[in-house]
Amino acid sequence: MVIEATTKQVYASGVKPIWCPGCGDYGVFAAITKALTDLKVDKSNAVIVSGIGCSSAMPQTFGTYGIHSLHGRLLPVASGVKLANHDLTVIGTGGDGDGYGIGVGHLIHTARRNIDLTYIVMDNETYGLTTGQTSPTAIMGHKTKSTPFGAIEMPVSPLALAISAGATYVARGFSGDTVHLAELIKGAIQHKGFALVDVFSPCVTFNHDNTYEWFRPRIYKLDQSNHDPSNLGAAFEKAVEDSQTKWEKIPIGLFYKTDRPSYEELDITLKNGPLVKQAMPTKEQIMRMLEEHK
Amino acid sequence: MQANFMTSVTVRIAGANGDGVESSGALLMKLAAKNGMQAFGYRGYQSIIRGGHVWFQVRIGDSDERLRSHGNSIDVLIALNQDGIANQASHLSENAAVVYDPDKVKVDSLDSSKYRLVPVQMLEIAVRVSGDPIMRNTVAIGSAMKIIGIDFKIFESVITAMFSRKGNKIVENNIKAAKEGFDSVKFEKMHSIKSDGRQRYMLDGNTALAIGAYASGCNFYSAYPMTPASSILHWFAAHADRGVFFKQTEDEIAAINMAVGAANTGVRAMCGTSGGGFSLMVEGLGFAGMLEVPLVVVESQRTGPSTGLPTKTEQGDLLFVMHASQGEFPRIVVSPRSVEEAFYIGSEAFNLAERYQCPVIILMDLYISEHVETVDGFDIDAISIDRGKVATSNPESGKFKRYLYTEDGISPRSHPGTPGTEFVAPSDEHDEYGDLVSDALSGIDRYVEVRRKMMRKRMTKIDTMLKNEKIFVPSIYKEDSDFFLVTFGSTTEPAMEAAELLSGKGFKTGVISFSYLMPLDKDKVRKMLEGRKLIDVEVNYTAQLAQVIMMNTGIEIEKRVLEYDGEAVTGEGIAEKALPLLKEFSR
Repeated sequence: MVIEATTKQVYASGVKPIWCPGCGDYGVFAAITKALTDLKVDKSNAVIVSGIGCSSAMPQTFGTYGIHSLHGRLLPVASGVKLANHDLTVIGTGGDGDGYGIGVGHLIHTARRNIDLTYIVMDNETYGLTTGQTSPTAIMGHKTKSTPFGAIEMPVSPLALAISAGATYVARGFSGDTVHLAELIKGAIQHKGFALVDVFSPCVTFNHDNTYEWFRPRIYKLDQSNHDPSNLGAAFEKAVEDSQTKWEKIPIGLFYKTDRPSYEELDITLKNGPLVKQAMPTKEQIMRMLEEHK
Repeated sequence: MQANFMTSVTVRIAGANGDGVESSGALLMKLAAKNGMQAFGYRGYQSIIRGGHVWFQVRIGDSDERLRSHGNSIDVLIALNQDGIANQASHLSENAAVVYDPDKVKVDSLDSSKYRLVPVQMLEIAVRVSGDPIMRNTVAIGSAMKIIGIDFKIFESVITAMFSRKGNKIVENNIKAAKEGFDSVKFEKMHSIKSDGRQRYMLDGNTALAIGAYASGCNFYSAYPMTPASSILHWFAAHADRGVFFKQTEDEIAAINMAVGAANTGVRAMCGTSGGGFSLMVEGLGFAGMLEVPLVVVESQRTGPSTGLPTKTEQGDLLFVMHASQGEFPRIVVSPRSVEEAFYIGSEAFNLAERYQCPVIILMDLYISEHVETVDGFDIDAISIDRGKVATSNPESGKFKRYLYTEDGISPRSHPGTPGTEFVAPSDEHDEYGDLVSDALSGIDRYVEVRRKMMRKRMTKIDTMLKNEKIFVPSIYKEDSDFFLVTFGSTTEPAMEAAELLSGKGFKTGVISFSYLMPLDKDKVRKMLEGRKLIDVEVNYTAQLAQVIMMNTGIEIEKRVLEYDGEAVTGEGIAEKALPLLKEFSR
């Protein structure tokens, strides 16, 4: 996964993203770039997979391999990539509608499988690309084109959901603090198993409630002094602290981390090496399969 | 209508789910196959695990003649319970033998002058010999062997091979039980089936397909369980210790998207389901089309719409799989016509998918997926691997053009991990690099042209495959006939049997059958059909193949035999309905 860099790795593709000036996703791009650079990830061994949405424009901004997939389906696609060749570094990038709305079922199952993926969700609590409808993480009362009288559903708690589903690395960052975010992403890439990094990534065009200015006084960082990420109970408590305090106290940082063998380590076929590198069957092996039916 | 060109005997074992009906049928097939006969088995069952009325039909035929369906009327009925008599009496052929347990089952309703009633005290024998009531099936199989004319020594060798691991006692009890059943039949064999002592393969269509896929190097299968496709996943799961990978997913959406991710990474990947699951896969199918990913999808049809008859067969999804997804992209649709062909198509599908970088849909149905038949042999030397155009380095300086405009529409693909050929595979419309033209650029003149060219590049692959491959035409059986049954997929073999029966009635009938259905070589198809007296035979209501033919050639086949009751068609059944239609031609 990590190789000696022989030359300075250049990760940017030069393709301009579609994001509005001031969009939180620029910060996430910067943080991913820093993480890849610091870890010296080989460009040709990295695959960035996205869904559909503003944040899903991420793969095109990188000169690595990538797949810009379907709305909500980035986790199965990324899983397919990783299961076919687990020597690759696979990073999923998408939004809250993509991952916690239409694709939330996949989040649960990918987490419990503990496939070695890094999943970065740019959470702006709104649907940007479709010009501003409510999102599964929208706070109650939030007004949008689809909820003009205010949202009346409880928001999803993605971190609590991921922890309960069996994710082995669960973190949250803020795109207004890319240095801190880059460290969380580095930890996620290095972690052997399913890692979720939820990122508050403000939408400057369609969400005028949850702005940088709104987040800054509410956010505080988890560290050794106030949290033990190996403590499951404490992790749950911190994961729901935002809604429990009516969004007065919003922790960011590493919430939960545990070691459990990854899917690739447990699977009887993948134990023998990446599928893509395994040999085609010989005539004798094919004959043996048929002979079972005589 | 009785087949007079060959000898075969149709045995139906009927009882309740959980009675061991299926394993008894499988055992009988094995015995016939070991005896050097041909065998063909099909089960009728309901979607419940215990109870209900189930049957397993085994047709046994001469060694030198391929069986083409599971047979129509029952020559030997083994009734394990009263329902076995009540539900099956109407299917009995003349002089059929009815094996029943007089202590449990009453046969007063049957006319003893028309049928040969064979009372065998199955339960009493089973309990006396082994203490195990389930052994009554073995007793019944022994009786059937006597009636059919299978050498009892075969039973000893088969049962020893099957149960020797479980210990001698089990083997001995089985032999004792079967022997008493055999001896309970007080007359000589009723049938003379030719046997040649040759060992044949015996498998169902899903297994043949799975082994074919394996043979071509497919080592990735993702699926969500759904009848009648599930036995493909069972095969992959069971062989995980021999280098194939199977992933059971949370739904069919995940199954196809995982397979797309895997195929794009360089493995030969397949996903499979039935119509309901395929409905969920539709968006993923278009995704594969846009990414130009070589993906193989199996759709094993069952009776629809919606949940339909989950354990019954139909060919109702042909137009659905041909047209599923928004937008247009090249795809190949192929429907295997026999268990044997399922093996070769299971393998060739990957060559086609990789050569043309498009989805290949293998359209099965419950009948071909689940029925078991003997196959004389498989030619594994016929299997070749062609991975199509693969770039292992960037031929140009600068960014790799994954979607390079080419004359044949096929651009070299590269796999993640290869230095220099990095690209992003996008579900949005894109340029040669894979960079999007959708969000910010569509509508600008230069990019309007990109869309036009990229669309043309993809669609050109259809012309390329039609030019390069000879497969997109139907086959013709008995070309010098006066009439032709036109059909596709699993209905082909029963139609061939029907053609023989009709020829026997004085109507010289052949069969024109399709396995590859999309794309079609229109001119060749038209030439083959034009001026011929045709009857369309399909297992659906709306004659979907006839619609496809009409669309491609303008030829309308007006005479049709259409079945949609969920039951598998037989040669006799088709012939019966086709006969009056043939007479209309002659008028």
